Amino acid sequence: MAAGRVTGAGARPGQVRGVRFVVAPSRMRWLSVRHRLHLLLGRSFAYLMLLNISFVFLFPVLYLLVTSAQTVEDFVDPTVYWIPTKIQWDNYVLAFKGLFYPQALLNSTVVSGLSAVGQVLSASLAGYGFARGRFPGRDVLFMLAMLTFLIPPQTIIVPLFMLYKTLGWIDTYAPFIVPSFFAHGLRGALFIFVFRQFFRGQPWELEEAARIDGAGALRTYLQIMLPLARPAVLVVFLFSLVWHWNDFFEPSVYLYNQARFTLPLRLNIFYTGLQIVTGAQAGELYNEPLLMAASLLVIIGPLLIYLVAQRYFVQSIERTGLVE
Amino acid sequence: MSAQRRRRLLRLSLSQQRAVEGLIFISPWIAGFTAFALWPLLRSFLLSFQKLEQLVGFKTSWAGMDNFREAFLIDARFVPMFLDVVRNTLIDIPAVLVFSLFTALMVNLKLRGDGFFRAVFFLPVVIGSGAVVQQLQNQEVGRLSIVRSIEGFGTFLVTYLGPAPAMAVLDLLNRLALVLWGTGVQVLLFLAGLQSISPMLYEAARVDGATDWEMFWKITLPMLSPIILVVTIYTLVDSFTSVFNPILMYVRDTAFSGQFRMGYAAAMGWIYFAFVFILMVIVFKAAERHVFYAGERSQS
Repeated sequence: MAAGRVTGAGARPGQVRGVRFVVAPSRMRWLSVRHRLHLLLGRSFAYLMLLNISFVFLFPVLYLLVTSAQTVEDFVDPTVYWIPTKIQWDNYVLAFKGLFYPQALLNSTVVSGLSAVGQVLSASLAGYGFARGRFPGRDVLFMLAMLTFLIPPQTIIVPLFMLYKTLGWIDTYAPFIVPSFFAHGLRGALFIFVFRQFFRGQPWELEEAARIDGAGALRTYLQIMLPLARPAVLVVFLFSLVWHWNDFFEPSVYLYNQARFTLPLRLNIFYTGLQIVTGAQAGELYNEPLLMAASLLVIIGPLLIYLVAQRYFVQSIERTGLVE
Repeated sequence: MSAQRRRRLLRLSLSQQRAVEGLIFISPWIAGFTAFALWPLLRSFLLSFQKLEQLVGFKTSWAGMDNFREAFLIDARFVPMFLDVVRNTLIDIPAVLVFSLFTALMVNLKLRGDGFFRAVFFLPVVIGSGAVVQQLQNQEVGRLSIVRSIEGFGTFLVTYLGPAPAMAVLDLLNRLALVLWGTGVQVLLFLAGLQSISPMLYEAARVDGATDWEMFWKITLPMLSPIILVVTIYTLVDSFTSVFNPILMYVRDTAFSGQFRMGYAAAMGWIYFAFVFILMVIVFKAAERHVFYAGERSQS
């Protein structure tokens, strides 16, 4: 938006640094027309850019939606692009069966739901401790916490695997859920950071008042600070849920029994199976509609939650004080 | 009351008691850190100098620097793959930074329907972190929208830029849609940052006759610099730990399929981690001189 100098103080009568000045009315009208034109051009440009960018973001989703209901004939037909000649609901039925959907959905819900609850509880505790606790070595410990964010999971996957094997956690959900309750798990450090920033932004007076009234540390935290942290709780819960839901790497290492597979693991089997059946080379799969229907079924859960929670979610991120 | 009595029993001063309370709050994290980060990290460091002899019972033998030597000198796949990942990341990060800042500036104009745009920009975070995106990527959805829609664009570039630069540009454009797809968090970070800049600064500049262009360079950018650092670090970490990262897939396959070469996988993991860490330090050092922190930051 290039409104330029004309939008400055010169367009309106006013007082700048004690010097009063008045702009002649005729000149003022001229300036305001130019001003509006600038504004209009700026806004149109912004709208154009935003719509363009939105398209890039929406395109894969639209593609997913449209393709998932196409027949294979429509898909390979170059004259059919967006509008299918016939809607193929069978794709969903087949994908539903192929993914062992009810069971995989339940597995995914259990794993990501429990992990998200664990991360909210433990990360908020740790975040509060780092924000308000005063103990020697706090900053060093916080640096270490942030450092864990940098460790690619693959660097420590082998020892973790050995640890879980000793504990008898392989092929159970414990490797996802237990670390979550200890402020670790998928991107746990990021969640500690979110809570720490949030609590740092809250006024000290609130806590002092509670303390003077005789509340202990835990009670102050539970009754005063945690209820205030609702935006941060929402953000962390949704991020954690979605990331655990979509996680492929860790489940693929720790789970063996197919009855325990989460949706992304099922999708992977489904994909490999389809490739074998159709005899296609990698990346040359012709029954893509079926695959897209399966992909849609995998993400539909988080997608629905996001669509419902989206308004609060985006506002919450801005209020978590993620930015210092 | 009970807190007072407890303190008297333990004979702690108020500040000591506060310290203990703080430690109690982070004790779950300390336990988790020891078990799920520190110990595995040390163990994997040790493992990178070892060779797995037998999977059952996990018998290892000392291998010295063999694993590291193999990664750099013998393995024909590791080094090129590594360089490729580094190159792609270094190209992607500026693209992500510029794009997400630009988008945030646009959304911040308070246009009608900004709620819709924010929802759209965040959509990829919901869908975009796993197997589904990998499927979309396999189907080359990311490439459809930009390069294919402009007929003859590739040949045009080759003609006017020469083959090598043209390839670089095309390569970036090819990945652009997918790169942009990963910018939801960054756009929101920038948006929050933009909204925390005091409007008074702009008013003052306007009174002094500054143009919007000047205001962007002299106010918006310096005020945003701490967030630019946060976004850079986030993007760096995100791309280096993403599931699409070929190195990480290679490490996993080396460790868990076929011969279970866990010692070698650990060594590669450590080389990789060391590199990411060094890069991070460089970014911080470079940022030190350029990041501008407005005012005093509250001490807590």
